[in-house]
Amino acid sequence: MFAEKVIELIKEVDRNPDTIDQYNDEKIRQIIEEMHLLFKLNMNDANATTENRSLWTTVQVRHSALERNKRCILAYLYNRMKKIKTLRWEFGAVLPPDIRELLSDDEYQWFSKYSGNLALYMRSLGQDIGYSGIDLTENLKPPKSLFIEVLCVVDYGKLELEDGDVVMLKKNSRHYLPTSECQTLIRQGILKQIM
Amino acid sequence: MFIEDLRNDFYNLLLGNRVLLLVHYDVDAICTCKILQGLFKSDNISYTLVPVGGISELKTAYEENNEEVKYVVLVNCGGTIDLVDILQPEEDVVFFVLDSHKPTDVCNVYSDGQVRLVYRDEEENIPNFDDIFRDDDEENEEEMPSGREDLEAFVERRRQRREWETKRNDLMFNYTQFSYYGKPSACTAVELAWLLCRSGVEYTWAGCIAVSAYAATHTRSPAQALLDAHALHRHLAAQLPSHGASVSMEKDAFLPLYRTWSLENALKYSPVVAPHLRLHSLAGADRLRQLLADMGIPLQQARQAYRSMDVELRRSLLDALDAAADKHHLPRLTHATYLLRRDHCAPLAALDIVYCVMALLELEGPGGFQLALASVDTSSAECEARQRGLGAARRGLAAAAALAGATLAARALHHAGPFAHFTISEGAAECEWGPWWLAVCARWAGAGAGRGAGAVLVAAPRGRTVLLCGVPPPQRTDTRNLFGAAFEQAAAKCGASVSLDHFDSAVVTLPAAQRPQFLDALTALLA
Repeated sequence: MFAEKVIELIKEVDRNPDTIDQYNDEKIRQIIEEMHLLFKLNMNDANATTENRSLWTTVQVRHSALERNKRCILAYLYNRMKKIKTLRWEFGAVLPPDIRELLSDDEYQWFSKYSGNLALYMRSLGQDIGYSGIDLTENLKPPKSLFIEVLCVVDYGKLELEDGDVVMLKKNSRHYLPTSECQTLIRQGILKQIM
Repeated sequence: MFIEDLRNDFYNLLLGNRVLLLVHYDVDAICTCKILQGLFKSDNISYTLVPVGGISELKTAYEENNEEVKYVVLVNCGGTIDLVDILQPEEDVVFFVLDSHKPTDVCNVYSDGQVRLVYRDEEENIPNFDDIFRDDDEENEEEMPSGREDLEAFVERRRQRREWETKRNDLMFNYTQFSYYGKPSACTAVELAWLLCRSGVEYTWAGCIAVSAYAATHTRSPAQALLDAHALHRHLAAQLPSHGASVSMEKDAFLPLYRTWSLENALKYSPVVAPHLRLHSLAGADRLRQLLADMGIPLQQARQAYRSMDVELRRSLLDALDAAADKHHLPRLTHATYLLRRDHCAPLAALDIVYCVMALLELEGPGGFQLALASVDTSSAECEARQRGLGAARRGLAAAAALAGATLAARALHHAGPFAHFTISEGAAECEWGPWWLAVCARWAGAGAGRGAGAVLVAAPRGRTVLLCGVPPPQRTDTRNLFGAAFEQAAAKCGASVSLDHFDSAVVTLPAAQRPQFLDALTALLA
């Protein structure tokens, strides 16, 4: 009684600040029941004893508990909402099924709306300079440099870059290429990065 | 055409475009390339860098990489050949040429924008356009004019034309007679970095190495070298005090690699000291000991690594060298040179890096180019490539000394009128050396032969072909090399199938069987 359950809920969130838990349907239901009960008792006492001021203290205590419950639940939901927002940036518009299970229906609905808004915004970006949208979620951390210097180790042949340029990769030639293009080739051992 | 404004007409055009960078195998080119790479990196100009050794390599490198490339920068290559004729580029490809090989081909000079020479050397006497090019009006020559007046005018025209042709040939002969080197390309690159407000220790250091490379091989006369260095001094003075590396100009011994060697070895294998002391002769060793004694350095100290030598002796080394050089009639053994200083590290001399880079390029086999680029770096004190290069340079100098000594001792240096020549015995490891180290040997042998030694020609047999490399007489005021044009004419005279593939025209390859007649023709020509 008196906001004990809601504290458990808050503690649960506090224990895992970085990950999202299963939406605690059961506990929320219990807390809301408790709030209904408190409200009913208060209503009764307030209606019955308009003259008797001795019950006012009781009513006030119940009311504080009620408000505390409300505030804690809002905090719980708000916290989850923030986490769901980061999920969109990490996983993209489609959530993996195991994460999808952790959200409640309302939360999922919010997620879909947020995702839609974000996509709409990203599509509208850069239209004035000729791009048809920029994917903001692609490079969340700025890369140290856009280009890296690489040495070609084997005769590979032609490599077509994203912008349509063709680079001839021959043994012992050095190139200064976009980082994103080189990474696979470095992993394959065709290029070597020069520090 | 020449570029007037380094920044707007050259660098700013490259911004945002793919650039093909073709770099020759020499110290100056490596340093220039290092500077350009640094600039390209800071401006995110993506480039492809291909090292090229000769004209045929330049051709293949261009053909392989010319897709989608509109700007080609040639460093120390391509200035002396007609680029448009040889590479057959598309109309919209632009070549920027930064070449210290001179004379520049006149077609490049008077190209209307496809070939752009980055630096204009005032010393070059480039013939005027009207004197060497002329619109052909030969079409109507066939039909003989009928009228008398017309006939006279026609004859007059032909006479004029013949006169003009002789004048043109004279001009062109005078212009292409000597091959020589202009201002180091790295100096131009340092200037470019300065204009872009990006000058830093690494750029200045690269410039210093290039200037030292020219000093080490006397490719520029002292007066010109002083002018080249002048701009660098300004950058040295403007260096901000930093806790990393810094470049300083100091008086230092003109002995390559002595900091990483022992003093005795450095003297024994120094191209300045060894030939003058005639160390190849029997009395040579005595003369070296005499020199050391005059310097006041005990043999035991001279034989141990320089860095472990007595501190007092090290401190007084420069004065001792100067005093001993006067007594033994040696050329000056100290000169002002550039040192890269770093806290808690031994200083690094630019002269040592010159030998290190050339050893990596010419003695270390494939991959030397990448190592050479790494060895010019200033970012770390310990550099594996540099250690390897210094080791190779020490071995190279010792081998060059042995080769020149053996040639002189066996009297294998033949004097043939205006020049002397010698041949490396077939199968020796030195035959595979590049022209730079062969030239070191040739100069060494020339200086060791005594006074009056003229130009020297060294022949290195490589299987069925033989590489000829000529060095000009060791006069200090005129450093021009007459072998380039002479080779060409001698080849034309005796009908030898000479391949003029090198950018340095004083280096040619010809079939081994044709060598005697080629040398005869050359002797007759130069006599």
